[in-house]
Amino acid sequence: MKIYTKTGDRGRTGLFSGERVSKADTRVSAYGTVDELNSVLGVLAACVAGDFGGAAGAIRRIQSDLFRLGAWFATSPGTPAFEDLPGLDPEAVTWMETEIDRMESELPPLRGFILPGGHPAAAWAHLARTVCRRAERRGVAFLEAAPSAEADETLASAIVYLNRLSDYLFVLARHLNRLAGRKDERWDPGAP
Amino acid sequence: MTIHTSVVAGRRDLSPSAFELRLARPAGFTFRPGQHLRLFLEERERDYTLTSGPEDPDLAILVRRVAGGRVSSRLAAAETGVPLRFSGPHGRFLFSPSPRKPVFVATGTGIAPFVAMVRSGVRGGTVLHGVRHSEDLYYQDVLGAGAGGFVACVSGEGGLEGPGLFPGRVTGFLKNRFSGGPYDFYLCGRQEMVRDVTRLVDERFSGSLVFTEVFF
Repeated sequence: MKIYTKTGDRGRTGLFSGERVSKADTRVSAYGTVDELNSVLGVLAACVAGDFGGAAGAIRRIQSDLFRLGAWFATSPGTPAFEDLPGLDPEAVTWMETEIDRMESELPPLRGFILPGGHPAAAWAHLARTVCRRAERRGVAFLEAAPSAEADETLASAIVYLNRLSDYLFVLARHLNRLAGRKDERWDPGAP
Repeated sequence: MTIHTSVVAGRRDLSPSAFELRLARPAGFTFRPGQHLRLFLEERERDYTLTSGPEDPDLAILVRRVAGGRVSSRLAAAETGVPLRFSGPHGRFLFSPSPRKPVFVATGTGIAPFVAMVRSGVRGGTVLHGVRHSEDLYYQDVLGAGAGGFVACVSGEGGLEGPGLFPGRVTGFLKNRFSGGPYDFYLCGRQEMVRDVTRLVDERFSGSLVFTEVFF
């Protein structure tokens, strides 16, 4: 199967709900960033495969959620296509919060900023966190640019999900460093 | 994924290059027009779009004979009663009513989902069926009777233009014979057709929606 359809060669693309829009459209930017986040998580999953206490399984679950979430941004609210979209697991955010609490309980308290990095797996988790924050910002921009009753409810839950996910990824990065025997490196404001 | 087991209920030649295969409908099996089945034969799997209406007693699929193709050859030779395994229904290429008129554009066996839609009662749209030879205008009776307008676009025979007949490609018809305005375009068929019609929509039919199913 060929991957290229060439329908987007002239700077336009199609939404799941059928509209043709510019590739510079805010929603394309939003779901494109969700896709980018998913790809970074794929690198992270590859990095922790078979190790790190089963972190790969958790990442796969999040990747699956992100496919659903990206589809929301790629579909106009109020259309039949939007109504057909599968929802997120209602427990998804609660699950992340539980995991955050579990991982944090095993970590030393945080007393300042830490430098993103450490073990490569942790470094990828930090990168995923920042891409997640960008996806969240672009999701908010889309939501604010085209508010509607239908959009508010579903897409607002996507923003909640992304907000919690970036928290999760921050704690996951520290957790992975701990499992790898690496200490978080605190930022020293006075260092050259 | 649920795997259904069914049996061949009949076969009907539509043209030298395509045939319709009917399968007994498993108990409780439902689908929406535009969806497809995934057939499992030996170690191979192939997707075939349903052409039957959702209420029809049997399931019908449209099969293109592929030269040297093992799956289509096996299906072409399948006798009534032969068991077949499939999963489904799959796919989201579904019709949605809207204030805009629908335009269904197909090449070759890409006509299959539109046959199912017309058989399920979808009315008022224009159907364009692009084929190289007129012998491949299968389901013309169903589409001509059910659609608001049916145009056969026959690219390989030359000849005169007439009611419901355009001697050229579907893109030629849309470019030269179709009035502008927002529509809901449903495109199914070869990649090149989907690409070219999508570009036409961007250029000439601003405000239209485009839904696609590509056969590579």
